[in-house]
Amino acid sequence: MGSLFPKKPRQKSKSEPLSSKIPLTDELLKKSLANMEDLEIIALNTNIGTVFLYYIKTLIDNERLNEVIVEPLNHCSKDQIAKCLMNAKIEKLSNLEEAEKKIVQGSILLYDPTQNHWFATLLETPLSRSIEPPETETVIYGAKDSFVEQIDQNITMIRQRLPVTALKTETFNIGSLSRTKVVMMYIEDITNPEFITIAREKIKAIDFDQFLDSSQVAAFMEDHKNTPFPQFLETERPDACSNSLALGKIVFLVDKTAYGLVGPINFFHLFQSPEDYFLRWIIASFLRCIRFSSFFLALTLVPLYVAITTHNYEILPLQILYVLLETRSKLPFTPFWEATLMLITLEIIKEASLRMPTKSGQILGVIGGIVIGQATVQAGFVSNVFIVLVGISAIASFLVPNYLMTKIITLLQFFLLVLSSLLGIPGIVLGMIIIIAHLVGLTSLKQPYFAPITPLYLKDWNDLFIRGPLTSIKERPSFLSPLQRWRIKKRR
Amino acid sequence: MKGYKPTSLLFVFCFLIVMSGCSPYTENNIVEEIAPVIFWSIKNDPNGQLSITTLVPPLIKETKQTFTLKVDLIKQGGKEFNLKYYRELKTGQLRMLFINKELAFKGIRTLINTLFTDPDVSSRLYIVIVDGDFEAYLKNQLSKQPSLDYFLYRMLKHYEKYNQGDMSIVNLHEFMKQLYSPFQDPILPVFKADKNNFTYEGTALFHGDKLKTTINNMDDQIFQLLGNDRYVKLLALPKQKLVLGRVRSKVEFRLDQTTKVLHVTDQINGRLEEYQGNKNLLNQSELSSLNKEVEVYLEHETTELLKNMQKEKVDPLQIGLLTTSPFFERMTSKEWKDQWENIKLDVHFSLKIQPVTTGNKM
Repeated sequence: MGSLFPKKPRQKSKSEPLSSKIPLTDELLKKSLANMEDLEIIALNTNIGTVFLYYIKTLIDNERLNEVIVEPLNHCSKDQIAKCLMNAKIEKLSNLEEAEKKIVQGSILLYDPTQNHWFATLLETPLSRSIEPPETETVIYGAKDSFVEQIDQNITMIRQRLPVTALKTETFNIGSLSRTKVVMMYIEDITNPEFITIAREKIKAIDFDQFLDSSQVAAFMEDHKNTPFPQFLETERPDACSNSLALGKIVFLVDKTAYGLVGPINFFHLFQSPEDYFLRWIIASFLRCIRFSSFFLALTLVPLYVAITTHNYEILPLQILYVLLETRSKLPFTPFWEATLMLITLEIIKEASLRMPTKSGQILGVIGGIVIGQATVQAGFVSNVFIVLVGISAIASFLVPNYLMTKIITLLQFFLLVLSSLLGIPGIVLGMIIIIAHLVGLTSLKQPYFAPITPLYLKDWNDLFIRGPLTSIKERPSFLSPLQRWRIKKRR
Repeated sequence: MKGYKPTSLLFVFCFLIVMSGCSPYTENNIVEEIAPVIFWSIKNDPNGQLSITTLVPPLIKETKQTFTLKVDLIKQGGKEFNLKYYRELKTGQLRMLFINKELAFKGIRTLINTLFTDPDVSSRLYIVIVDGDFEAYLKNQLSKQPSLDYFLYRMLKHYEKYNQGDMSIVNLHEFMKQLYSPFQDPILPVFKADKNNFTYEGTALFHGDKLKTTINNMDDQIFQLLGNDRYVKLLALPKQKLVLGRVRSKVEFRLDQTTKVLHVTDQINGRLEEYQGNKNLLNQSELSSLNKEVEVYLEHETTELLKNMQKEKVDPLQIGLLTTSPFFERMTSKEWKDQWENIKLDVHFSLKIQPVTTGNKM
C-alpha cells in the first residue's frame, strides 16, 4: 500500500553556493544578482575607459560613493582603477563566489572591461547606534558603556581597555545565509593554547544557515546541549570581557549582536557582578554571599513549604505551625497545586511584563501584585503565608546577576516542587543531589564547570564565595591553567 | 567522560542515603487534614488501665474539647483517639507529656521507652509530673483560654531556654540520658493542678524510673544553685527578710580519698534586691554579719537537702561521678548508691552580696 502522503522528491536548493572555481564574468554576475531591485549597475566614463560599478544601494553609503569612487575616477589621469582610488581599500577579485560575498556585505564591485579586471571596495553604510549604558548588567560604580551591534566598535571598546599587542583576534564567518562574522579574542601570553584550539575547532565545526544572536552561536559551541545551565557567559559589558581576557579566558564577539560570549566559565561566574571588583572587598563579599543565599532560597523556599505542609509538619516550630494551620485550614487546594498554580501565575505575570511597553508593564505590576496576590488570599484560594514565600522567592531569584540563571531557577523550582510533593524533605535533598551531580558533570570548553570546588582548587576560593581584597588576588584562577600564573610583575 | 565519574559516585552516595535512611514511603501529612496533638496527659486508672487525655483540635481557633480514653497500651490510645475525631491525630508535634504523680511512683520506664523509640515523637518532648486533677483544670480553662495547650508549651519552652533557675524543665532526651546514666538519677518538674490553677511546685527526684520524693520552695531553689541551672534570678530568703537577685553559684563537689566525706563548696554572687530587715547595710560590719547569717542559713538548708537525697538514695547531682577516674571505675553504680547514704557532708558557702540598697537605718 502506498503512503497517504507520498514524499516529494527533494529538489536541490537554488541558493546553494556556486563553486568558487567559476571565473567571474559580467554575465554570470548579472545572472547571479537577478531579481534584486536594489541592485544598481552604473557605467562611468573615465580616462581609463568605461568602468562599471555594481552595488546594492540599500547596503552602501551613497554619500561616500561619490567622494571615494566617482569623483576620484572622474578626475583620474592614471591608467588603472587601483591607482586612481588611493583613499579606498581595493581588493582584486578572481571568482564569482568571492564577488557575491563582497557585494552582499556592502562592497562596490568595479569592473574594467578593457583589462577585464574586477575590484571590490567596502562602502558599507554605518548602521549603528550610539554606545549606551548596559541594560541587563547595570552597576552603580564602574563603566557605563555597553556593546553595540557593530562588531568593530565592540572590538575597539575591548582594545581600549587592553592596549597590548598580545591581545589577538581571529575572525570566522559562520552561517551559510547570514555569513555572520565571529571574532575570537584572547591574550596570547596568558590564555592556555588548549582552550584556543578547542574554541577554534568548535567554531569551525559550526554548520547552520543563519545566526541572529550570540546565544545561538553559544548553543552550537556548548559541550552539553541538554542542560539548562549556560556554558558561556553572555555579557554586554566590555569591562567584564576585558577582565575575563586578563584572567586567561576567551571572548567571542558576534557581529550584529550586542552581547559577547566568555568561556570557559564555571557555575560560580554566573553569580559574579562586575561591581564586585569596584566595591570594598568586605561589602562585595557580603553581597556575593547574599546572592548565593538568595539563589538557594529562591530554589528551595517554595518546595520546602510544600514538603512541610504535605509530609514533614514535624520539623516546624510550634509557633509557625500555629500560623500555618490557621491559614491553611479552609483552602480548597493541596499545597502542591497551590504552589504550582501560584508559580505558573507568577511566570505568566513575569513574561507578560517583559513583552509589554514600560507603562503597561507598571499597570501589570499593580494587577499582578495587588489584584492577584491579595484577591487570591481573600478569595481563599491561596494561603497568605504562601504569598509571602512566593514574593520572597521571586525577589530572591532576581538577585542573581545573570539573566539566564533567573530563568533556570524557575525550572529547577518546579523540578524540586514535584520531588518535594512526592517525597517531602528527602525529595528536596535528592533533587539538590541530582542538580549538583549534574553540575559536576558539566564542562565549558572542556573545562570543569564546578571548579574550583570539584576539582578542588583551594587557591581560587579567594574569589569564590567571598571576593578577597584585590591586593591578595595575585594569581589567575588555577582552573584556567593560564600561561602566566601571577598577575603581579614581581613574581613573573 | 570526564564528568561521569563524579556524577555516578554522587548517585551511588544518594542511593546509599536512601537505602540506609528512612523509608521512601512518605506519610501523607497535609496539614489541613491532620490534627497534630501537642500534649498527652497520662494517669493510672484504679482498674490498672491507663487514662490518656488530650485536647482537640490542637492549634486551631475552633471550639475545643478534651478527649479521654481508658486503654491498656499507650499506642492503643493514640489509635483510638482517631476513631473519635474527624481529623487524624498525629503525634509528630507532641511537645508535652503530663504524667500523674501516682503513676510516676509506680515507674514510667515503659512509657518513656515507648515514646523514645517512636520516630514521630521528638526528643524535645517536655515531661512534667502533675500532682492533682489536670483534666479538671483543662475542662475548666477551655472556655477562658482557647489556646491553653499552646501557651503551656510556650511557658515550658521559655523557662527551658533562659535557664533562670525558676523551674527544672526536662525533655525526653535529657530524662533518658539521666535514666540510663549509672551515676545520675533523673529529675522532672512537678506542677500542682486543680480546677482553677496549674502551678509549679518543685522538682521530682527519681530513683531509676520511680518517683521517690519531691523538693519544693527553698529546697528547690538550692537545688537550682547546686546542680540544675547554677543560677537563680531571684532567691527569696524570708527568714533573713531579703531577696537576692541574679544569683550565680560556683559549686565544687569534692570527695575525699576514702569516699567518706563529701566537701561542697559554693561561691555565691548576687545583688541585694530587697531588704526588709533592721540592719544598716551602709555599715560594713552589719553587712558582713548579714552575709554570715545568709551563709549559715544556706549551708544548713543545703545540708538538709543533701541528707534528704541520701535518705531517699537518689543522686540527681551526679556526685557519684566523683568516684570514677579516666581509666577505671572505683565502684559500681550499686556500690555507690549504698555508699552515698553513709557519706558525711561538709558544706561551705561563700557569699558575695552586692548591696544596692541604701539600708533601712538612718
